[in-house]
Order: sequence, then C-alpha cells, then structure tokens
Amino acid sequence: MEVTPRKAEAEQSPARPDRKSAWRDLFTFRAAAQPRQELWLGVGAFLLVLVVWSIVAESGLVQPQILPSPRAVVAAWLRLFTEAGYLGDIAISVARVWAAFLASAVIAIPLGILMSGYRFVTAVTEPIIDFVRYLPVPALVPLTLIWLGIGEGSKVTLLWIGTFFQLILLIADDARRVPKEFIETGRTLGASDGALMKDVLLRAMLPNMVDSLRITLGWCWTYLIVAEIVASSSGIGYELWTARRYGKTPEVFAGILTIGIIGLFCDQAIRMLHRRWFRYLQ
Amino acid sequence: MSTSAFIRINQVAKAFATPDGGTIPVVDPLSIDIKEGEFVVFVGPSGCGKTTVMRMVGGLETPSAGDIHLDGKRVEGPSRDKGMVFQSYSSFPWLTVLGNIRFGLRYRNDISSAEKERIARHYLALVGLGQFADYTINRISGGMRQRVAIARTLAANPLVLLMDEPFGALDALSRERLQIQLMELRRAERKTVIFVTHDVDEAVLLADRIVVFSARPARILADIPVSATLPEKRSLDILDIPEFRQIRREVLALIRAQETGLEAAE
Repeated sequence: MEVTPRKAEAEQSPARPDRKSAWRDLFTFRAAAQPRQELWLGVGAFLLVLVVWSIVAESGLVQPQILPSPRAVVAAWLRLFTEAGYLGDIAISVARVWAAFLASAVIAIPLGILMSGYRFVTAVTEPIIDFVRYLPVPALVPLTLIWLGIGEGSKVTLLWIGTFFQLILLIADDARRVPKEFIETGRTLGASDGALMKDVLLRAMLPNMVDSLRITLGWCWTYLIVAEIVASSSGIGYELWTARRYGKTPEVFAGILTIGIIGLFCDQAIRMLHRRWFRYLQ
Repeated sequence: MSTSAFIRINQVAKAFATPDGGTIPVVDPLSIDIKEGEFVVFVGPSGCGKTTVMRMVGGLETPSAGDIHLDGKRVEGPSRDKGMVFQSYSSFPWLTVLGNIRFGLRYRNDISSAEKERIARHYLALVGLGQFADYTINRISGGMRQRVAIARTLAANPLVLLMDEPFGALDALSRERLQIQLMELRRAERKTVIFVTHDVDEAVLLADRIVVFSARPARILADIPVSATLPEKRSLDILDIPEFRQIRREVLALIRAQETGLEAAE
C-alpha cells in the first residue's frame, strides 16, 4: 500500500529525488507531488498542535475546566470505555449514520439518474428538493419528534432528510457530466434506455458517485450529533452532552476526538477503495 | 432521383431554436441519394452543418423538414443499423480494449455468446490491436482509441458507418496510418460509409464521392464522383498524381470562396 493519504493522484516521483529539491518543490507553484515529504509535514503539523496543547494545558496557563491536558483526555477516554459502555454508544451512532446513509443512497441513486435523463422527473422533483435542501436540519427536529417520538425512527429520519436532498442533486449532477458521446455511442450500438442507464451511465459516473457518497457520509455525521444531543439516551452525541452537563470537560474533548477519528477513518477507507476500484482512471 | 437509393436524404432541413423564440437555419432543404457500399465524404467550411446532416442520418438529430430513409425504412432515431464513430474519444475507460469491442455486440440477440467472442476477436485483429486486448483505454494512444471505436462499431454490424471527423484530433502520422487502415477495412467489409471532414486531402484520398457543402446554412455546392477519375485501390502515393490534385484544387476553390464570402460578410 502506498503511503499517500490525501493525494490519490500523486504523481510518480523520480527514482531517487534530490532531497533539497523535493522540499523546494513544496513551495513551487503547481510542482510535482512529493508524497513522502507531504506525509511528514502532515504528521508534523498534527504533533505540533498536540505539543502546543500540552504545554498550554500542563503549565496551568489555562484552567483545566476550560482546556484539559491531553493526558486528562486520554484518561477520560479510557473511563468512557470501561465505565460508561462507550463501545455501545459508538456502535449505535455508527448504526444510525449508516442506516440513514444507505436509505438515502438507495433512493437517491436511481432517482438522481432518472432526474438527469428525463425532464419530467426533474420538473416535478426539483422545486421540492431545492425547498427542503435549504431547511436547516435542526429546524426539523421538533417535527420529527412530534411525528415519530424519541425512538430510533426520528433520528434516522432526521439524518435521512439531511442527506437525501443533498445527495440526489449531487448524483444527478454526476450523471449529467457523463460525456454525450458515451450516451450516443450506447444508443447507436442498440442500447435501450434502461440498458443505457445501467451499462453506460452508471458505469461512467461511478467514480464521481463514490466521491459524492463519501462527502454525504460526512454530512450525515454532522446531523447525527445534532439528533443525539436533542433527543437521545445513547450514542456519541448523547455522551458528549451528558459530559457537558456534569462539567466533565475531558470527556467532552474525548467525544469530539472520537467523532473526528471515526470520520477520518471512514473517509480514508473510502478513498482507498476508490483507488482500488477505479485503477483504470490512472 | 433513382428509386434504388440505399440512403435517401429527401428535402431535409434543420433549424435550431434560439432562446428569444426565433430560429436559426443550419441546413437548407437538401437531398442526397447514396448507393449501397458507397464511401461518401462530406466536406465544407467548419461549422457549416455537414455534421448535422450526418447526425440526422444517424437519428441523433431530428430533421425540421423532410425525411431520411435507410434501406427503405424511415430513420426515426438512433439504432444499431447506424453505427457512429465520433471525433472525441468515445471508448469506455472502465472496459479493456477487447471489452470495448465486445460492447459493440452486447445488444445483439441474433447470435450466441461464443459467436460474439469470435467476432470481437476478429475485429480486434482486423484493426491491428491483437496484442493490446487487455489494455485499459487510458493506457493506449489516441490513434489506438479511434481504432477501438471503429472496431466496436463494425462489430455491431451496422448498415451504414457514420464517421464524424474521426481522425481530426490525431497527429499527422497516426492520421495517415488510420486513413490507410480505413481504406483496407473498407475493401474487406464493403460497408456504406458517410465520412465528415474538413481536411480536403483526406476527403479526396478516401472518397468514392465528395459532397461539398456551403457555409451555414448548409447547401450542396458540388457532388464530385471521385471514383470516376481515381482508382478504387489507393495509397498515399496518389497525393502526387495530377487527377488527385485536380479534384483537390476544385474542392478547395469551392470552400475558399465560401470562407472569403464569410469574411466579406462580417
């Protein structure tokens, strides 16, 4: 596995690059990628933040109630896992996100493709989608509570509303960007509308679609925390909010970091799959 | 007009709608009859509407007036009977070279899958890509991609092959090689071909017959039976013989007159 976390398009650097010029390239406008140096910079910046945080917290410059030290956060984390059943909270949060995300994708992918292909579908759905899309998700919390109570249904529905109406437009755009020549080639080779969408359109848009799904999954996490803070008795968001109520700042930090780490992990996993599935793009 | 035409373009016109409710005529009513097995080249100033005429034959555009018949049947939209090769690369990057050629046979229900495989490999070899069967499209050159597109279209066994400036994006050497290869393919396959280009040398080299179009809106300026004066079997040496140069001069003069006309009008 190559170690180029963010640059899927990382160019092949020459066999043994001159160290100095590799670093200089990082400051040259549109120079070739330097995967190794870039990785070190990323790790370095991360460590720098950690070190500054440690110094400020440990030196007593800031009250631990405001900024707990990294050590205190790690300790809080362990407490969460051993005493508060945090693994269960993580599992339920991940399950909510994926349930809503899959429900969005299963409907948004076919409907988005139909939107790109048939004026009728666009004309009927677009005004509704655009209207819902501009509603802030928290504004819908009261309504989902009235309709569905405080069970799992209301949370998953909230996440679904938050992602579906964004995702469908992204999918429709991905489908519209497929070159006209691909579609016309399919037609002149005898493909029906259905075959055209399945064998040409879907295949051609797939790499961009996976990116759209990845981005939407990130938004899904955002809404999850909103849903769990407002009305829940489990999940990462709930634990976060409970910790605040009792003034446990280290636990609040641990919760935030947990969300960040899960998000980062999902994102990187999908990027890796993207590189593996779509080798033909390179 | 004879009644035996394989492709009959009958009083066909095309106008595009403008946003303000008007229309722009792109093709004035024109008629062309094409015989089976004929290689017809459409030439004319760029943007003159020759591609639009060909796309109407392919069913990818609908005529505003008139009708087109292919082998006695009215053209009502795209189908496998009208194979198309585009200028820009239309090979599918998610398939290999052979996979792309196989795709040309995907929607044929009249033959077994073993037969499909045989046909796909036949055309793979015919366009000289035998060693590249398993290459992905992004790893082969522009000329090779166009050969994939041609093989894929031929594999679908269309009644007519429509080629829209297929070599326009290639470098000079690749273009020459593909021109020669197309002439060989054509002798082997005896397909009816409509070929659009603005390269006059290419037109005279390939054509049985050249239809010269005016500047927009397209009208027919001349219909030149090239095969009456040039031999059927041609090579690049033909570029030097007097008959070739004569036809070339004739076509160029017609197109130049159009372009100076355009400049004067501006």
